[in-house]
Amino acid sequence: MTEQWRLLQTGFNTAAANMAIDRAILIAYSDGKVPPTVRFYGWTPPAISIGYFQSLTDEVNLTACKKYGVDYVRRITGGGAVFHDKEVTYSIVVSESHPAVPKNILQSYGRVCGAVIKGLDQLGINSTYAPINDIIVQGKKISGNAQTRKLNTVLQHGTILLDVDVDTMFSLLKVPNEKIKDKLIKDVKQRVTSIKHIKGKEVGFDEVAAAMKKGFEDEFQIDLLEGTLTNEEKRLAKQFEKECFATKEWNHRR
Amino acid sequence: MQSKSVYKIPNGKLLKISLEFNEKKNTIIHIKIMGDFFAYPEESIELLEVALNGAVLEKESLQKKIQSIITEHSIQFIGINAEGLTHGILMCIP
Repeated sequence: MTEQWRLLQTGFNTAAANMAIDRAILIAYSDGKVPPTVRFYGWTPPAISIGYFQSLTDEVNLTACKKYGVDYVRRITGGGAVFHDKEVTYSIVVSESHPAVPKNILQSYGRVCGAVIKGLDQLGINSTYAPINDIIVQGKKISGNAQTRKLNTVLQHGTILLDVDVDTMFSLLKVPNEKIKDKLIKDVKQRVTSIKHIKGKEVGFDEVAAAMKKGFEDEFQIDLLEGTLTNEEKRLAKQFEKECFATKEWNHRR
Repeated sequence: MQSKSVYKIPNGKLLKISLEFNEKKNTIIHIKIMGDFFAYPEESIELLEVALNGAVLEKESLQKKIQSIITEHSIQFIGINAEGLTHGILMCIP
């Protein structure tokens, strides 16, 4: 019988709540309380997430965030700063020892990205995995991904860009060298794409999430059954939000 | 003395080092290793930072020290390595 995993559609949440929910799922799963889980979600207000090892004030223009009402949060995963606006975000939580998950970390990035690639296939978009952690279409990035492993559990989350606004992104992110900012913006515009750009029309969140569901089912040979967060996960998420992701100590720790 | 560096690791990620060092002794007083790389487990970066306190800022011995800490604690880096870290740290020295 096909293995059954849980599908969560948690809608749109704040940055701190989103990161808290991913961590709550990871903890609940590692305690054996919930099945392997795939989650699709969005961000409201739009937000910047930074990688675990990044310096918040080095990467993010906090004054601009405040001015534009953009949220920010430090992730528990490494990787770079991401502006989350028009996108579908996924997370997957599964055991490190699940036969579908390669022991090798880089190979497991490729495996999970394979699900996103199959999801994009559903939308008629031909993409490939570009190590370390990107998915590209016609040489341009459409998806960024980041993975952590804790308590024998893999958590990978990533973005699928519906649309992208590089100018707004760079008004919120700091660049190492202001003098070359214009060139940098031009370069990034050349290197980033979105579903809207490729299809020549807007494709909605729900349609892309449905395509991704199919992609994950195909890649992992599973059925995704729509479920909800357990009460314990909700409690954990509230706790992590309050004690970690919404705190200055966490977000400014580097 | 306080210093910073930004170093794009060849075929890897962007490494940002913030370094406080003793000019007389040529040793690390305090280091922060930042950037868009990956490390498993993540907490090992703080461990590495602490372990580098007092390390001599000389290429060969520094790289050796970093490598031995990586090995000892079974740290897995993606997008950075001992060689790149050493280079990034020494870029802080005028």
